[in-house]
Amino acid sequence: MGEENEATNTQQSTTESEALNFLDSVDNYLILIESLTSTLGQGWLELSSARHSMGGSRLNNVLLTLKHHSAPTTVELDYDNAGSMTKSKAPQLTLSKWKPSATQESNESEATTSPLKTENHRGKVLSMFGGMVSPKLRASQLSFETALETLVEIANVRSSVLEAHRALKLHKG
Amino acid sequence: MYGFEAMTFNIHGGYLEAIVRGHRSGLLTAADYNNLCQCETLDDIKMHLSATEYGPYLQNEPSPLHTTTIVEKCTLKLVDEYKHMLCQATEPLSTFLQYITYGHMIDNVVLIVTGTLHERDVQELLEKCHPLGMFDSIATLAVAQNMRELYRLVLVDTPLAPYFSECITSEDLDDMNIEIMRNTLYKAYLEDFYQFCQKLGGATAEIMSDLLAFEADRRAVNITINSIGTELTREDRRKLYSSFGLLYPYGHEELAVCEDIDQVRGVMEKYPAYQHIFGKLSYGESQMLDKAFYEEEVKRLCLSFEQQFHYGVFFAYMRLREQEIRNLMWISECVAQNQKSRVHDSVVFIF
Repeated sequence: MGEENEATNTQQSTTESEALNFLDSVDNYLILIESLTSTLGQGWLELSSARHSMGGSRLNNVLLTLKHHSAPTTVELDYDNAGSMTKSKAPQLTLSKWKPSATQESNESEATTSPLKTENHRGKVLSMFGGMVSPKLRASQLSFETALETLVEIANVRSSVLEAHRALKLHKG
Repeated sequence: MYGFEAMTFNIHGGYLEAIVRGHRSGLLTAADYNNLCQCETLDDIKMHLSATEYGPYLQNEPSPLHTTTIVEKCTLKLVDEYKHMLCQATEPLSTFLQYITYGHMIDNVVLIVTGTLHERDVQELLEKCHPLGMFDSIATLAVAQNMRELYRLVLVDTPLAPYFSECITSEDLDDMNIEIMRNTLYKAYLEDFYQFCQKLGGATAEIMSDLLAFEADRRAVNITINSIGTELTREDRRKLYSSFGLLYPYGHEELAVCEDIDQVRGVMEKYPAYQHIFGKLSYGESQMLDKAFYEEEVKRLCLSFEQQFHYGVFFAYMRLREQEIRNLMWISECVAQNQKSRVHDSVVFIF
């Protein structure tokens, strides 16, 4: 009898911790969504401000380059089974900013990109609008960069929300 | 001779001065801007503008409107007014009016060349060109590979030809070379326009000297700030500054070595005419600098209307209309993005 009560209590506390885990994940998710909305709104307004400053002929979509070029920022997808209660693999996204791709520069084996190189990459991307752009355009670029980081974080948190939901259902059901 | 324009100006310039003063009275007022700033949608903006001189240009535009459409149609109004004045003008006013558009011509040349470098279609580039800066052979710019070819194939027959002597090289066109070409052309154009106004003499020379000197100084500051952190060397930066203006030559020497906005501020605060502009900014901040410069420019442009019998009113009117179009663009963007609290960040009231 005592053992049954103990097992019931253990199961109940596990269910409660799973529920808390799920609610925490959802809370994180909603906070990140709000942060993304705010960052994107700021980025678009800064872009409009840059357009107001530089003029419509210097900042418009016909100047975007159609030349083939490799992406300086990539997202890698990995499936992580460690710590998963449901034995299913949870996808994890990792953002690699301003680093050359593996097929591009094979002799660049740096694990991290120096701040100077990062700045150079940023400047190179903006150079399609001219060699000397307004600081407002650079601020807009940083905002969209932050938004991209938030998006990847949202994807990972969403993955953990689904994982927590699956774990909760498993224990309840 | 200065002071005697009243005797002869109206013979050739009287009608057009009256026309431009009439156009000036059609500029949007603070009350118009207050109404526009309270709009919820772009259709509301269109409705408010229908009661202004922009009404006929926007009335046939279908919903949903875009901010680029509003800017495009308002610009068409300016172009129509300009063309009417140009076709009525005699020398030297007709040359003066043409000088006003050379800046747009330079921007169009750079747009076509940059777009071609990025493998864009020429037709879509031509659609984005400013109508005031169009010329017949503009589409041929797409075939040039370097500045020498640009000049030889196309620009030799345009009003920009004299400005190319300082930037003809055989180097292939890339983003930085194009930027240097843009600023070198604009420098040569401003200097040429300045010399032309000096030759006209009288009130035109006095008023236009002040306006063009301010333009040259503002460009020097913008070039300095925009080139911070780029590969442009100090020597190359200094070559892009115009050879006139309040900052010439000592201010230019100091600006050429600036590495951040605070150093630029330190240089500019030595000049009383620009102290109050930089006094409006916090340390390390440059976001409001554009608005501060536009406010100063509008003040000077409005003052030019206080005097009669000079060509400065034509330049001032064109610039005030362009400022008005910038205001409308900013208000439209804030309304479209639901950021009406930021609308006063960049709107410059003209009256």
